[in-house]
Amino acid sequence: MVAADAGELRLRIERPGREPTGHAGFADVVIGRTEKADVRVDDQSASRRHARFYRDGHRWMIEDLGSRNGTLLNGKRLSEPSEIHPGDAVRVCDVTVRVEGTGSEAAPSAEPANGTDAPALTDHDTDSSLFSVIRPAAELAALPDEGASSRLQLLNEVHRALARPITSAELLQMILDRAFAVLKPEQGAIFLQGADGQLARAAERQLPGTKGSLLVSRRLAEEVTVKGAAALVLDAQSDQRFSGSESILFSGVRSILAAPLSDADGCLGMIVLYSSIQVRRFTEQDLELLASLATVAAIRIRNIAHAEAAAARKVVDHELSLAREVQMAMLRRRPLTRPDVDLGARLAPARIVGGDFYDFLLDGDSLWFIVADVSGKGMAAALMMAVAQTLFRAIAPTGLPVDEMMARVNRELARDNEGSMFVTAFGGRLRLDSGRMELANAGHNLPYFLGKDGRVELVRAKNGVALGVVEEASYPITELALAPGEALLLYTDGVCDAVDPAGQAFGTARIEEFLTAHHHVRPADALVQGLFDAVNAFAGNAPQEDDITVAVLRYTGQ
Amino acid sequence: MDILQESLNGVSIVAPAGRIDSTTSIELERAVGGALATGRQLVVDFERVTYISSAGLRVLLMTAKRLGGGKGSLVLCAMNDVVRQVFDLAGFLPLFSIEETRELAAAKAAGA
Repeated sequence: MVAADAGELRLRIERPGREPTGHAGFADVVIGRTEKADVRVDDQSASRRHARFYRDGHRWMIEDLGSRNGTLLNGKRLSEPSEIHPGDAVRVCDVTVRVEGTGSEAAPSAEPANGTDAPALTDHDTDSSLFSVIRPAAELAALPDEGASSRLQLLNEVHRALARPITSAELLQMILDRAFAVLKPEQGAIFLQGADGQLARAAERQLPGTKGSLLVSRRLAEEVTVKGAAALVLDAQSDQRFSGSESILFSGVRSILAAPLSDADGCLGMIVLYSSIQVRRFTEQDLELLASLATVAAIRIRNIAHAEAAAARKVVDHELSLAREVQMAMLRRRPLTRPDVDLGARLAPARIVGGDFYDFLLDGDSLWFIVADVSGKGMAAALMMAVAQTLFRAIAPTGLPVDEMMARVNRELARDNEGSMFVTAFGGRLRLDSGRMELANAGHNLPYFLGKDGRVELVRAKNGVALGVVEEASYPITELALAPGEALLLYTDGVCDAVDPAGQAFGTARIEEFLTAHHHVRPADALVQGLFDAVNAFAGNAPQEDDITVAVLRYTGQ
Repeated sequence: MDILQESLNGVSIVAPAGRIDSTTSIELERAVGGALATGRQLVVDFERVTYISSAGLRVLLMTAKRLGGGKGSLVLCAMNDVVRQVFDLAGFLPLFSIEETRELAAAKAAGA
């Protein structure tokens, strides 16, 4: 015996302070805040799609569509779809919908039991509760089907809802809202792949009073996210595919829908919906709907993630550019102009902020100078550089000998140096009255001496360990005398380590070659610029991997 | 970067190849960290290393500090002239135990 289909639903809608209105028909009736609702509830506490009357065989049913504030049937909160009868009252916020007729009066149900668990199952489900469909999501999304109109409507809604600017958290909730409104699960979740490649729950939602936790079998997750398949699993516990020992237990038998969030660039994660099968079994049509929704959602998730990452980068870039301002201000002090010395220096950072620095300080008749290179690049190196340069400025003019100056800077840097960063530095003092120099080397590239007769010679200064490595270190003094017209050129390893597009390094031989050809160039600034030009010409379009610093002191002695 | 890792008489051997610069030093740091998780005697074999920058030196310095704080030792070996010069330039040669061959280095690390 098959019961006749349900007849016409007749409703009476009562709004406070207004005349009641009527509604009659055979189609589903949606109650909610959206303008497209059949029964509109103009109240912010109502959900856009709040509740729905629908036909289930010979019966008319009422269900809550996952609303925030719930639906009352005869004063009792609706926790699952319920059959309605004439005389029932459904309440959504301050709107009461009275059921006047369901058509069943004319054709009473003969075998109600027949309808209890017979939603539209396909013929796949012939013999048991074991049933699952795994299909490529792309294929599903492209399928023409009889549910096309509802799918179009869903996609339309999603498109519109997703068009306005929102955060990724809002977006994920919105996607779940849409899925709840159309597919009516009890629970749902969105999992996204983290930077480590692991899936993590990014959003979830469930109907009030739903028991059981939202756990996903790893094999299901793999099937969906790795193979890009949409899955419909009607009996999770008895499906061999997902009952591996490592998989996660489902509380009770559930109907599960899962679809990958994929776009052209790959899989971002998945969306999973659950329903206890006593409440609802998902169908293949539902699977197609979810796959379509997931496709649209994935594109939007990717876009928002890109936009948020770009915004975060902008903040970091801004901070880095401020840091560079500070750093450059430290280097760009008033130029020292004296008749007895000609100074030139330039620093080109590899990133926005760098780890090289140079400095010149006048202290009576002495000129202190330093060129240094902090290990590493970027923000951490820039901070270390700022500390090192500050120490040099504080300690150098105190009248200490050069070796003790270097040892004190080292001691301060070595203390609590957890990151094991270090600074190579070449520094010293030029006596402006005589041209005599005292030099100290802390693990740095040796400078070149430019003689007035055109000689170019490496200054073989005694070495000490780089600054910041060990607290007690000594930096023996090397003496050198400059005659008027003679110069010292200091540099960091960014010069000799600069590579051409073929990966060949500039090397010290090219520095010497350049200096031999250009030692006569005046002023010091022009010589510095000339060496930079030579390095740039050599490197071509190869990326600059390290900070580059060059400094020249020419003693003029006038 | 190509980094071979093996064990010789209970001593972990890490053998990178090519240039250790600011990019590849991150990989070296990871490899050394992994080796230290299994043992406290470590040899870094430079036989196939053509160049090391200050970023690479920093990784070795950090490793030496970590081992210096507890029981364990770090021995370097088979440096070519270019690499040795970088160590020399930075004043790092006295800070490290350096051997000619991997076998000598492993024996020294095991004995420490």
